[in-house]
Amino acid sequence: MTNPDLFDVPTLPGSNGASRFGPAVLALDGIVKTFTGVRALTDVTLKVLAGEVHALVGENGAGKSTLMAVASGALMPDAGTVHIGGVRLESSSPGEARRLGLGIVRQDPALLPDLTVAENMAVGVGYRRVGGLGRAAAWSQKELDKWEMGIDARTRVSDLSVEQRFIVEIAKALALEPKVLILDEPTEHLSLDEVQKLFRTVRGLAARSTAVVYISHRIPEVKQIADRITVLRDGLVRGTFDADEVDEQQIIELVIGRTLDTVFPPKGSAAGTVGTEDRLSVSGLDGTDFHNVSFTVKAGEIVGLAGVQGNGQAQLIRALAGLEPAAGGIAVAGRTVPPGSNAAAARAGVVYVPADRHGEGVFLPLSVAENISAKTLPGVSRGGLVRERRVLAVAADQIRRLSVKTPSPRTPISSLSGGNQQKVVLARTLLAEPAVLLAEEPTQGVDAGARVDIYGILRGAADAGAAVVILSSDGVELEGLCDRVLILSRGEVVSELTGGDVTEAAIARAALTSTTVRERTDADKAARGVKLRRWLRGDSSPAAVLAAMFLLLGVVVAATSPSYFGAFNLNNLLLMAAPLLFVGAAQQVVVLGSGFDLSVGPLMGFLVVLASFWIVDGGNLYLGLGLMAVGAVGTGVINGLLVTRFNINPVVVTLAMYMALQGTYLALRSTPGGIIFSGVAEQIQARIGIVPVVTIVAVLVLLALEVALRRTRWGVELRAVGSRIDAAGRLGIRVKRTQFLSYVLCSALVLPAAVIMMAQIGIGDGRPSLSYTLASVTVVVLAGASIFGGRGSFIGVLAAALLVQQVLNVSPFLGLSQAWSYWLPGLITLTAAVLYAQFRRSRGTSSVRKAS
Amino acid sequence: MTTTKDLIGRPAAPVQDRDRPEAAWRRMLSGSGTGIAVATVLLFALSPIIAPGSLGAAPLLSMLPFAAVLAIIAAGQTLVVQQRGLDLSVPGMIALAAVLATGLPQSHGWPLWAAVVAGVAGPGLVGLVNGLLVTVFRVMPLVVTLGMNAVLLGTVFFLADGTPSGAPDALNRFALSRTFGIPNTLLIAVGIVGIAALVTQRLIVGRRLTAVGVSERAAAALGVRVNAYKMVAYGFAGLCYGAGGVLLAGYVKTPALFLGESYLLPSVAAVVLGGTALTGGLASVAATGVAALFLTQLGQLFRSMGWQDAMQLIAQAAVLITVVLAREMLPALSRRRAARRAASGAPDGVDRGASGA
Repeated sequence: MTNPDLFDVPTLPGSNGASRFGPAVLALDGIVKTFTGVRALTDVTLKVLAGEVHALVGENGAGKSTLMAVASGALMPDAGTVHIGGVRLESSSPGEARRLGLGIVRQDPALLPDLTVAENMAVGVGYRRVGGLGRAAAWSQKELDKWEMGIDARTRVSDLSVEQRFIVEIAKALALEPKVLILDEPTEHLSLDEVQKLFRTVRGLAARSTAVVYISHRIPEVKQIADRITVLRDGLVRGTFDADEVDEQQIIELVIGRTLDTVFPPKGSAAGTVGTEDRLSVSGLDGTDFHNVSFTVKAGEIVGLAGVQGNGQAQLIRALAGLEPAAGGIAVAGRTVPPGSNAAAARAGVVYVPADRHGEGVFLPLSVAENISAKTLPGVSRGGLVRERRVLAVAADQIRRLSVKTPSPRTPISSLSGGNQQKVVLARTLLAEPAVLLAEEPTQGVDAGARVDIYGILRGAADAGAAVVILSSDGVELEGLCDRVLILSRGEVVSELTGGDVTEAAIARAALTSTTVRERTDADKAARGVKLRRWLRGDSSPAAVLAAMFLLLGVVVAATSPSYFGAFNLNNLLLMAAPLLFVGAAQQVVVLGSGFDLSVGPLMGFLVVLASFWIVDGGNLYLGLGLMAVGAVGTGVINGLLVTRFNINPVVVTLAMYMALQGTYLALRSTPGGIIFSGVAEQIQARIGIVPVVTIVAVLVLLALEVALRRTRWGVELRAVGSRIDAAGRLGIRVKRTQFLSYVLCSALVLPAAVIMMAQIGIGDGRPSLSYTLASVTVVVLAGASIFGGRGSFIGVLAAALLVQQVLNVSPFLGLSQAWSYWLPGLITLTAAVLYAQFRRSRGTSSVRKAS
Repeated sequence: MTTTKDLIGRPAAPVQDRDRPEAAWRRMLSGSGTGIAVATVLLFALSPIIAPGSLGAAPLLSMLPFAAVLAIIAAGQTLVVQQRGLDLSVPGMIALAAVLATGLPQSHGWPLWAAVVAGVAGPGLVGLVNGLLVTVFRVMPLVVTLGMNAVLLGTVFFLADGTPSGAPDALNRFALSRTFGIPNTLLIAVGIVGIAALVTQRLIVGRRLTAVGVSERAAAALGVRVNAYKMVAYGFAGLCYGAGGVLLAGYVKTPALFLGESYLLPSVAAVVLGGTALTGGLASVAATGVAALFLTQLGQLFRSMGWQDAMQLIAQAAVLITVVLAREMLPALSRRRAARRAASGAPDGVDRGASGA
């Protein structure tokens, strides 16, 4: 056994190797960063010189990404300084770092899925550089064509493949002509071809004396591209070396902090603990991203899955757990398991340890004990009644056995470190006595100490008779742990390594060489039909469908009742549609920013009642209108403040506002009263031909909003916030302000709706307004906005509002009872929501899966 | 297997120190029901001071049936909120239950028991449909229940043909009378809320419902049938609305067609006051029941002070927002203080989980 401290002797930066390069462009000094009492970075100092490719290596969770988040201004360090191009980065602001000349390509690209590539580039590199939003598409296309990836700048990012997205992210960073470029695990998503293209680009940049930071845990790649290498482990710099001064083995040992044989338990194939029975057998399994996969795993055996990320490994292991749809044969201990059912897989003894620990592995608000027995509740209960004492006893036992560091079994799991959380997940897994154990990235985000424990636990599970399948992007881990490794490429098992062939180098070689040509998504296939398809995927396709339905319904009704197309009825229809147009647009604004406003209806009623005290005979019209405006904007400000400043659920805020406004107008007028001044009412209902003026105004406002949504920064930023709020924040968009303004604009748009309703009912009465809340939601849902924000168009609102009003209008013509005035909007809302949900799902499946 | 602390040289145990009073505050304000229980006791203690005579037998007996109905309905709302939903179909569900329980005997000669079963089961079935639309068809709960509410109101209109019917005498008598001096409505409410609390807190089913509510994905990874559990939650919520609606119809004798409208926000308010977060997961049906009592007594107090119903709406909204605000602000304040303490002298732990690596 080697003393690990031997590897901790740093080579001083600025020794012979560094002299070839220019001055330090990125200088990090004494960086300390702590997360909730846990130190992620300890006194890290790093100098990156002009013209060098500086690799930063370390295991998952060694602190690389945290360090780069600090360098790029995304995280505020607790101590230490960041200098970019010799200028100190005073505050932690991504925009400021960008201005000083720092470009970063993140592992998880900061892209807004519902926006087009061009819009993303405009937001990412600044509107001025692309020559304004109008020219963004042409400019972006030019930048992207260099990569020959067949990316169309006008497609939505969500329609791109993972590697195309990554190229967009790289192009975005390069367009800024940064002095220092950070590449965070750039090759995870790329094929060998693309990796070589990337390396050529990186070399070219270095030759023009850009400083490049290259973060990776793939040691062979690092050796190929880097001039100098800095090793990070457990938040400490373990040394900086010239690339040709160290070999791969030395780097690996520095990265893991000891020699390999002290980290990994002896393999089953070497110790002879592998059974003879095929515990798991997979035959001809097909899924969304893998095809015809067949393999077997024996009891006591650990089999690894490897390959370039996104080649179907993740889908395969999830399909084995029944969490992905699949077809084909899966058998556990000889018994067939129906694919695609997580419950059936669990019954057969398949246990899955997910990669996304926070999202899928643990129940964060629950205690350690509850997490441990979550899977084996029958074991701690009698007659269906869970016995708390058993839960705690079982937990205490597991905590001791796996040496989980927790103050008590009752502690919420959220306060444990990543490694200990993972041990809890494994404790739960072991309690279930798995026949098959599936583990995806079992040591991601885990410190080195816990990592060793976890390897022991996994091997122990195999020795206890489980068939273990491990998916990992860490070649060293696969080499140390697995008896066999299967390499996947394009969803097929292309090679199998056994015995002495299971080495990191062999795994990397097999993965990269087998993935020379990746299938491209539709972007460069089938040039014909691209326009049609893009239109169908766009925000405006629902509008056309709705308009067609509107016309069709009109024609059908007119055939049975000719008076339907009479001037009187058409005028009435259009006039009644006017408030709906405004309210629908108001709701759309909030929904685009992923908010929700239930208070639009009663707000109309409140404003009308307010007006009924002033816009009456002997009152003051302007004061009345002024008060209405103040009331509307005030409501929006309160809603917006409560949602954005105080982080209260928008539904709660606006539901309370709904009640408060309703209470207020009822308190002001418990019965209808205050006849609206007829001259004003008539003026508001004036018309040109058969078309009411207010309807024309409403249509113009909606068109203006649509143009603003597509062509202005406000529109792009609103959609950006609704699309992906964290990415929008990282890109420097002021998220809270955007959302706040969306509530204010929403309430402001309710004002004209209230004015029109006031003229229509002619008296101070708030009650008719309540139905507008549902109507506004119906309109927005029909208009095809993703109710989660980011998508939608005001043209769609226009068509949907007309259709809804028409549906309400035709009931008397068709002789329908009053019940239909409730049924129709309700059924239309539900039907439209279901249809759009199915449409979105089938359309989004492939890209969403790939991204996950 | 040896641990590797000696090799790494640093312990991996970030034990957060907690400030006791702050933790107590947090517990009171979020979950566990202590907060609302204390508030309810305080409210009843203060009632005679604010409005003399408000704790007499007559006001209590007139308040308790409404508290009972709200508690049953809010129990249903709790189940939906636990699954990260919000049920806006409560008014339609109550109206449907009332129209079935009153209209079927009057217009179609159904026996009372059958009408009551229909009144409870009808909303239960609709709840299952809600659950189906939310899970299998993946529509946002808010949109599903908002649309379903309109469909239900149309159905109520259709069934009643525009005019409400009177509740059968036996139902009316049952709802009005008392057993051992306790209103029957209250006994039913305690029974329903008690069973719901037992099921959700102590049974395996309840633990799985909690798991699904906390994290659907994590529950799915455990092999839990997520969709089935969610549908069960919506279905049981429907049964609760049905029971509440039937009782309410019996109590008021001739229920207005849309009598459920005034129960929507109070049901949400009761859930929130009871400490169940709208982000789902940890929920307490019992605390919701206590909150229902609190809200109804608060309304009674306002009424005895001469406030009209309109003011009550405003007061309810204000209470709701105040509690949510307090719950949001206090942990944030104590977090900030804890962060400051951590920055000044942090324990030397080794977490990478939070680093987003």
